[in-house]
Amino acid sequence: MSSRDFVYSKFAEFYNNPSSFIPAPTSFEHREFAYLMFKERFMVRHKRFESIQVFQSVLTRNVPSDVYHSCAYYEQPDLEMDKKGWIGSDLVFDIDADHIPTKCGKIHDEWLCQKCEFNGKGITPEQCPLCGGDRFSVKTWLCDLCLESTRVETAKLIDMLTKDFGFATNEMHVFFSGHRGYHVHVEDEAVRSLDALSRKEIVDYVTGLGLSVLNKTSKEKFGKGRKRVATAKKFKLHNYGWNRRLKIGMTKLLSTATVEDLKNLELRNNNLFKNKTVILRRAIEEGRWDSIPGVSVATWLKLAEQVKNLESANIDTVVTTDIHRLIRMNGTLHGKTGLLKMEFPAHQLDDFDPLTQAIAFKKGTTKVFVSNTPEFRLGGATWGPYKNVNVVLPTAAAVMLILKGRAEVAN
Amino acid sequence: MSIDSTGFTKGELAKYPFLKETARYLSPLDLQIEDLVSPDMHQILDRAMERVTLAITDLTIRPLSSEQGKYFLKDLQKEILSFPVAIMLVSATGNSFIKKRYALAEAKQATCLLALESKMLILKVALDFSWKIALTSSDDVFDFILYFSDFLQNASHLHDAKWKLVNSTLSEGNVYLNKRNVVRLLQEEIKRRIERRFSNVSIDRYPSEISVLAEKLKTLAAERIEQAETDFPKIVVQEAFPPCINALYDGASKNHHLSHMGRFALTTFLVNIGMSVDSVTELFVSFSDYNERLTRYQVEHIAGERGSGTKYACPQCSILQTHNVCKNRDDLCKYIYHPLRYYQNKSKTALQDQLKNSKNTQ
Ligand code: SF4
Ligand SMILES: [Zn+2]
Ligand SMILES: [Zn+2]
Repeated sequence: MSSRDFVYSKFAEFYNNPSSFIPAPTSFEHREFAYLMFKERFMVRHKRFESIQVFQSVLTRNVPSDVYHSCAYYEQPDLEMDKKGWIGSDLVFDIDADHIPTKCGKIHDEWLCQKCEFNGKGITPEQCPLCGGDRFSVKTWLCDLCLESTRVETAKLIDMLTKDFGFATNEMHVFFSGHRGYHVHVEDEAVRSLDALSRKEIVDYVTGLGLSVLNKTSKEKFGKGRKRVATAKKFKLHNYGWNRRLKIGMTKLLSTATVEDLKNLELRNNNLFKNKTVILRRAIEEGRWDSIPGVSVATWLKLAEQVKNLESANIDTVVTTDIHRLIRMNGTLHGKTGLLKMEFPAHQLDDFDPLTQAIAFKKGTTKVFVSNTPEFRLGGATWGPYKNVNVVLPTAAAVMLILKGRAEVAN
Repeated sequence: MSIDSTGFTKGELAKYPFLKETARYLSPLDLQIEDLVSPDMHQILDRAMERVTLAITDLTIRPLSSEQGKYFLKDLQKEILSFPVAIMLVSATGNSFIKKRYALAEAKQATCLLALESKMLILKVALDFSWKIALTSSDDVFDFILYFSDFLQNASHLHDAKWKLVNSTLSEGNVYLNKRNVVRLLQEEIKRRIERRFSNVSIDRYPSEISVLAEKLKTLAAERIEQAETDFPKIVVQEAFPPCINALYDGASKNHHLSHMGRFALTTFLVNIGMSVDSVTELFVSFSDYNERLTRYQVEHIAGERGSGTKYACPQCSILQTHNVCKNRDDLCKYIYHPLRYYQNKSKTALQDQLKNSKNTQ
């Protein structure tokens, strides 16, 4: 059996198994559905189904590698885009290790220049160091540190959605994406009709883009022309929105950071560390920012900038602003891992372990020839590292290695 | 004064005729389009005409001194009636400039008046738009709390940094605002409601007298538009490209991979400054191994020659910033909020420079 056929048979088993539960998204009849055909690598789009049962029978028959539905609601989801009749769209966030710096440095990813075949490990460079080409084929991997980094970003996002945007935790749906990250969907009536521009404002809020306490200059009129001048404006923060976040972030940073930590953040003013107790009380709590000896407006601005970087959440900006976006369907398999996209309660973010809980293939083992893989954890056990060896692995691990291009079924 | 969140006085309706209550107030009169040209309605038609004319010429709807104009201080009912009539007049022109301008003038006028009103009346007007809004307790430094989605629908169209959500006083879903801010946001909402009303008017035949007036308004508008003509130069002035577009252009010419948003920005920019589909396609293909057929298809789509038939607008700076396409901002960037504005400004000076230089060398 070829490796592809093997994985296909496992996906088919999953979609044929009546106990594979695929929850129906809300407003089912207004959603567009789409799926990528496993063998043909062809995307079927603009589908509408009467019920989840009907859709499930389609999945059983077709066995796709990836299944999606629209974040949007349409009058007629099965027509072409211009004619669908957009009613509204969920507010969706995607946090993916692809888009953020992770603690592992993605040392496990392998890239190959398509032009000259030069290859390397880690973050894919913008240009090939050998030939300057910029098209690469990339073999990604997911490790605990990737997941940890995305989890931290997701936690910051959820904190903003609850405290600043006022959503109750049960109004937010939090998912493991099935690969290297998390999705958060908000389906509240109030956000459905928001246009792309409003969603962009939400993205800017979450990422801290355009925060103006950080502006060192202000517009002022001088004679005929407008000029920008540096102003030694008083630094101050109020108790709402990002201003509040900055204060909390400053407190957190200053009360735990060492001199070294601050140096690493380019905060070299020693007074920040020496006077931290005074700063915490007089400046942050009482708002007397100008009363700290040796700490100028410029230093406050620098501190605020660093805190903003620490406290903002790194999301994929395009996903949230696109009001026609397709998103992976909850309860279906990810074609790059064989793991499930899976919902869990927002408050369990810290405890949910994708690498044991989002496993779809729980039975059986398979012998595979592994070309190259780092040590990895899956289903409560640790495997590898392997290099050019035959090993017998649980189905979930075998499927993942094959989909990641790191193993073949051994004959 | 009793706190009634729906009832407005006749005087208030005359000031804010776009309120839903106006329709309820007028419906017993059952005004028909034919009635407009009857002699006793003439005063109303005159005032309606004045509303639109002033909107086109001065972006207001009230003459500066009320004595000179036909503004009905005493006959409030006539003043109220002149509003729906003005809407019909504007619809009869079928002219999008007049529609936009009239809606803006009405909205600006209304907010000037609203600024002088009590918080309670402002609240009532906001509730007429179904805003989720409430007064704060009297000792609060802010006057209102407004649910963030209502805030965004209006504030996202305003360009000053202070209107960005990231700089707002957001807390638990609400933005804390003072009276002046709420009135400014209402202006956007009022403008949109009036613009929407034009698309709801469904009259296929106007009495000839109305058509004559509509023609007059169109002539007036045409003069205005000519005055405000701000076209792009007929030739492409590459030296005037904004930094973001330069970076994309450069990337494309080196066959680098562009993000979806980057490619979209570059294509819409080129199409919008007047480059033809042929030239844009040629450009992309000349750069690199872009597939000609596919590229042409995409460019045609963006230029509105395929699909929905609408030409896609080039995204404004704030959108390009969100998606990390804004690169190498320069001084001019501080004064514009749209790459096309940048181009418009800079191409003027660039062309003048060229002219100067060529004179010098001759
Ligand atoms: S500010 Fe606007 S015009 Fe300037 S580089 Fe950024 S996106 Fe381009
Ligand atoms: Zn290379
Ligand atoms: Zn990793």
